[in-house]
Amino acid sequence: MGSVFMAQLAKDRRNPLILLLFIALSILATLLFVRSTQNMTTIAVFSEDEHGAAIEEKWLPLLNREGAYYHFKAVDAKHAREQVQKGRSDVAVKLMEQDYRLVAASDSPTIQQVDQYVRKIYTQEMQIQASSGVIKEEKLREAVNEYVRKPPFRLTKQGIDGSKVQSHNMSTQLMFAFTLLISIFTMGFKVNSVTNDKVSRIWDRMILSPIHKTSMYLGYISYSFFISLFQVTVVLILFKYVFKFDLGHHFGLILLIIAIFIFGMISLAMLITGFVSKPEQFYAIYPSFVPMLPLISGAYMPPGALNNPVLSFIADLFPMSHAMDALMKVVNLDAGISEIALQLSLILLIGVVYMGIGINLAERKSARK
Amino acid sequence: MLEVFKLSKSYKGKRAVDEINLYLDEGDSVGLLGPNGAGKSTTISMISTLIKPTSGDIKFHGKSTVEAPAALRKVLGVVPQEIALYEELSAYENLKFFGKIYKVEKRLLEERIQDVLDLVGLKDRQKELVKTFSGGMKRRVNIAAALLHQPKILILDEPTVGIDPQSRTHILEMVRMMNERTGTTVLYTSHYMEEVEQLCKRVYIMDHGKIIAAGTKAELMSILSNEDKIQIQLDRPSASFVEAIKGLKHIHHVEANEENIDFIASKGSNILGLLVREAEKAGAELINYQMDTPSLEDVFLHLTGRTLRD
Repeated sequence: MGSVFMAQLAKDRRNPLILLLFIALSILATLLFVRSTQNMTTIAVFSEDEHGAAIEEKWLPLLNREGAYYHFKAVDAKHAREQVQKGRSDVAVKLMEQDYRLVAASDSPTIQQVDQYVRKIYTQEMQIQASSGVIKEEKLREAVNEYVRKPPFRLTKQGIDGSKVQSHNMSTQLMFAFTLLISIFTMGFKVNSVTNDKVSRIWDRMILSPIHKTSMYLGYISYSFFISLFQVTVVLILFKYVFKFDLGHHFGLILLIIAIFIFGMISLAMLITGFVSKPEQFYAIYPSFVPMLPLISGAYMPPGALNNPVLSFIADLFPMSHAMDALMKVVNLDAGISEIALQLSLILLIGVVYMGIGINLAERKSARK
Repeated sequence: MLEVFKLSKSYKGKRAVDEINLYLDEGDSVGLLGPNGAGKSTTISMISTLIKPTSGDIKFHGKSTVEAPAALRKVLGVVPQEIALYEELSAYENLKFFGKIYKVEKRLLEERIQDVLDLVGLKDRQKELVKTFSGGMKRRVNIAAALLHQPKILILDEPTVGIDPQSRTHILEMVRMMNERTGTTVLYTSHYMEEVEQLCKRVYIMDHGKIIAAGTKAELMSILSNEDKIQIQLDRPSASFVEAIKGLKHIHHVEANEENIDFIASKGSNILGLLVREAEKAGAELINYQMDTPSLEDVFLHLTGRTLRD
């Protein structure tokens, strides 16, 4: 086992570029996607009223108030319509004195969200204005603001044990999703060394040697495990200490989840190896298949966004969804090992089953030779 | 020492090897000669215990290797046709890896690596990566990797395919030396007749999965003892002449190219006069007539009607 492990390590020491590239890719992909989720969407607003400038001046500060989800920007009406027509923006808002219109070319979730937000602002303002007939508007506005600052009732949220309820950390989720996805490629390509060595007949040399077959498989699998764990650990350390991502308070537990996940995914790669007879076939199947795993596992989406039961069932057959679930529980809910024991057990079970079938298939194929 | 009884291998109902028998004695050098696709590689894969036969048996010192391959594997060195090496590693690193998996004692390993590198003539280039080597050099390391555990039986599967003449000579000389000096038993497969002729004391000729002839070189040549191999040359190419001599009674296996016409003729048939007459009829002149001793290639041609490279 040690000789096979060391030979694989020596190969990678000679050519560490792919490993470094995968580490860089994990970081780049995470930073790129996290940034895009944090960027506020800009919505064009315009007014075609004869007092357009005054209307824009009145509504823009209200729309762009603190805590707004969007950034509203006054633009030329023609330009705003053109941008929507050409599909460069989903929606633009035509402001009127006491009403608004949405300019859109097709239906999309953004249009509904913008509509909801703008309607809320208009309704609130209309209510204040309606009441200003009874009370002086300025006084009323001040009273409302004071009321909001010091409400008679305040809703507070806390955990069962009285601890602060953490909000879901999408950036960390995306970081895990991309790091795991890219490590899956490392695992697969390393496991594929088995097929590579079979084709080049290095495997036959080993078969004829006194080394046991179990040791041979263990050599490849343990190296794939080691190098993938190394890759993920480097990426996580960089995100924790350099990019200051919130990884919770149980870094060791996170590494344990990752280690079990790697075992599960190596088993999946082994299962695919059992079906193929040439490394090229593996290179064709594996990279087309694995990018679907984070998608169907909802790894790129906020919790609850993916609620298709069929997809959920399929996702549960692979380690990704269980690993993401466990990781986010540890990061967001400060969960301990007993709270994620179910997810870890499921990954281990999947791993054992896939590994068993994979090696069995590969051996049956050899026996048929 | 090693006996093969009625060994067969079928793939999806098609027989790749068909009830072959062969044996290897200690210190023997045996050639397995045949064209591509004859079943040589399948045969040696079965003898090497890498694949199981469909039927038949292989016995090493009287014990079946199909049931218990360990004893044979211990003394076996196999040089596959493919370059079974890690190209990203140096020659030295590759040999160290194979030495370790063969459980060569740590204190002996370094010495053995240097010995085999010396034998294959790559001692000076041991630190270079295999991927930077020429085809011939790779083949030499490929052989070296099979020698680290000092095997008693060495099986080589077409070890000289696609290499330069210099490396080829080196490999052949090395195998011959190992057989003669250290008494290593050699089973050498090739479709190059001259290699087998040069190296092996006994030869098995295979075609379509069957052994069609076997024996020492002299025994095989005796198949053609009543025939001569003749090569003639005309002053100009003549298709009608070739057609005419194909019809002559004592001539067979006629092969013509732009320069020469080769054929086998019955010994003592005295055909020179006939050839001159046929040449005159075809409007050509016979300018060269050469009679050779038949080679294994001719034996193969005689037995199968094809050349080894067909």
